[in-house]
Amino acid sequence: MKKLYILIFLFLPLLANAANDVTQLEGSFKVGPAIILIFILSLFVLVGIVFRAKDTTDYYAAGRGVSRIGSGMAIASNWMSAASFLGMAALMYGTGYHGLSYVVGWTGGYVLLLILMAGQIRRYGKYTAADFIGDRYYSKSLRAIGAVIAIVISIAYAVGQFGGIGLMFKWVMGINYPLAVIIGGSVVLAYTLISGMLGVTKNMQIQYVIIITSFMVPLFILTAKFDYFWLIPQLGYGSVVQDIVDGVQLTDKAGMFNSLGHHFALVPSPEYAMPWDPSTGQTFFQWMAIAFSLMIGTAGLPHVIQRFYVVPKARDARWSVVWGLFFICLLYWSAPVYSAFGKILSANPEVGLLSPDAIVVYTAQLGNVHPLIVGLLAAGGISAAFSTTSGLLVAGASAFAHDLYVKVINPAARPKTQMTIARLSTILMAIIIAAIAMLDLALIAQLVAIAFSMAGCTIFPLFLLGIWWSGSNRAGAKAGLIVGGTITLISLTYLIGARAGWMLPYNSFITYYLGAWYFAWIGAPLAIATNIIVSKLTPETPLEIRKFLIEKVHS
Amino acid sequence: MQEEEYRISLFKPTTQQALKNRNLIIQLFTVWAIAIFGFQILLKILEKPVPEDALIAFSAAWEKVKSGNADAADYVSAGQSMVQAMGKSTIKAHEYSALQDGVGWMLANVYPADELDDLQKDVHRLSALREQITSLRDEDYLEAKELIISKAAPALDIDQGTLLAQLLAIGLDGELMQISDENKSRIPDIMGLYMTHNRSVLTDTIFLGFPFHYFYTSVFLLLFFIGLCWFYCYKTDKLHARLNFLELEKID
Repeated sequence: MKKLYILIFLFLPLLANAANDVTQLEGSFKVGPAIILIFILSLFVLVGIVFRAKDTTDYYAAGRGVSRIGSGMAIASNWMSAASFLGMAALMYGTGYHGLSYVVGWTGGYVLLLILMAGQIRRYGKYTAADFIGDRYYSKSLRAIGAVIAIVISIAYAVGQFGGIGLMFKWVMGINYPLAVIIGGSVVLAYTLISGMLGVTKNMQIQYVIIITSFMVPLFILTAKFDYFWLIPQLGYGSVVQDIVDGVQLTDKAGMFNSLGHHFALVPSPEYAMPWDPSTGQTFFQWMAIAFSLMIGTAGLPHVIQRFYVVPKARDARWSVVWGLFFICLLYWSAPVYSAFGKILSANPEVGLLSPDAIVVYTAQLGNVHPLIVGLLAAGGISAAFSTTSGLLVAGASAFAHDLYVKVINPAARPKTQMTIARLSTILMAIIIAAIAMLDLALIAQLVAIAFSMAGCTIFPLFLLGIWWSGSNRAGAKAGLIVGGTITLISLTYLIGARAGWMLPYNSFITYYLGAWYFAWIGAPLAIATNIIVSKLTPETPLEIRKFLIEKVHS
Repeated sequence: MQEEEYRISLFKPTTQQALKNRNLIIQLFTVWAIAIFGFQILLKILEKPVPEDALIAFSAAWEKVKSGNADAADYVSAGQSMVQAMGKSTIKAHEYSALQDGVGWMLANVYPADELDDLQKDVHRLSALREQITSLRDEDYLEAKELIISKAAPALDIDQGTLLAQLLAIGLDGELMQISDENKSRIPDIMGLYMTHNRSVLTDTIFLGFPFHYFYTSVFLLLFFIGLCWFYCYKTDKLHARLNFLELEKID
């Protein structure tokens, strides 16, 4: 811990001198935020070294000695990514009430996860999603497919994170977006290679505290500064929302300005809060489809499911969901506050177009929050992306090295070879992710939502039926995967086609009903139905698997 | 146990514990689904498209403007409404541009003809300054903006100390009297799109400062999810204790 104090001691004078450089929304290199960022990342590595896992078993079972609250914090930290920290406020800023479908989807899914899976997954006792799929469906090829799906989902999920990292590095360093993605991506890769196996659970708890603190502090300042109920900003901003609907006249908040000198005022803007407002271009169907897809995606994400293997017993797995969800909701109650203040503070047309994905930071800047606190906020956003990306790269690399290479390709591989393969696959994944992130395909939250729909169409049906119906067999699982995978491919082809300007058949019909952010609304039910039908028509699940389900998972 | 007894299904529980667990899952799932999707469906059923006051005023005036029967009050009314729409932060650039033309056209119809050239020069000057300045607090820029407010706002019957006056000064651009036929025909659609909203008793009721539906979805539902999770864990613990159901405590 002595190293930690030395680090803090070294950085404090630098911070004190760097408070005055965040004066413009964009622009040059910002020393203060850069120092805060370096300090926080160094802290994570240091904590990782101090609490590092001694061996692989310790790494996997890191939660054994952790309390339910600690485990809940780890779940929340693992979950809270750039999509939560930056992306949700961005969606509500741009599309108002429609953005709340993401809030509901990303929290409501935990109820499904708890009542349908958490305890049972823990009792099943496998370490990875591919392990479960290969074992439950007694198939080496399904294990391999499960590993490939886990890698693809990790990549899709991480693309949004790299987007967030790129945006924040762009903001901190004053450089262009592609260069920021390369630099930010390199830093996160180095960070993962250094700290990927270090003190994961303890680090996640510290990351949670930093992320939530950096996110909350500006909210108290903003609500107090603009004369709203500041003791609980998550309730106080209700009046901000109503003010947006009714409009704020210059006289209503006389003497209050944003950092550019504009009055705290805007014309009546009911489109911000009214459901599926025509001006947002979003519909009732899309709201429902997104919420549903994100919820079942939550219950099918490999890195989320994996958290339940590292708690001591099934009861702890259940209660850790309650605490995890509570800690997640602290952030999800807060994100709409940024979008509401951002709406008013950037209402003047002279502010110009702002990147919605950076609206959290812009709002704090426009609200004249102290530059160091804005810097802390940006560093919190990067930390959120780092913690999730690091976890995804490790999960993707272990899926490749453990589930594919060792279990399928080369069972005789030595541990050293396995480690080399894991490192190489981490680097390869980072390169692929950075390349896709540079295309800037969509908003961060939308990119992440693709991963959720993929998980909802592929892994969720396998887990749901695998746990709750012994009749689901290998043939059914394969058939369900083919259907879920096909829907995924169709949707992604149309997404890429739309960006590339291709004119594909039934373009408007498919891009609307199989939208890339919500295709699981139909993909998952079809995959489940196919799995059931094919399972009924083919030989039954072997007795030993059924016995295991009854005796170990449900008894 | 016979071989056929080694079959499990959520819907066909074979033990007391499984039966109770199945019932609990179905109850919670039903409540969960109704709370989320049921409320949104209710919102959809109750909603009605409601125009903003500015749109009602615009629609009445625009008919006369289009048919050439408008008087000064109609131009003022339509102009004010369009300025208000230009203040919408979600408005797209090409739609904003069409409204700029519309406002300029309305203003030119009510502004003294012999002073219009001067106003036009002021508008050009402000546009040129906007391209040059590095800070929005530039004195020349602020002065030029105030000058336009002092001239144009009274013509459209807008109080100089209001937000609309600010939006008017920022929004005026290009040639005041020129508007394309395309923009003329687009403006009513743009106004309708940005000024009609789905509203109902659920959106118009205020609860803890929020529109009720917004509070329900953004605050209450999240709390409700935590409550559901807590309830499930609590009931499961009680059930396991009552049935002496022991769970594995080691990682396999």
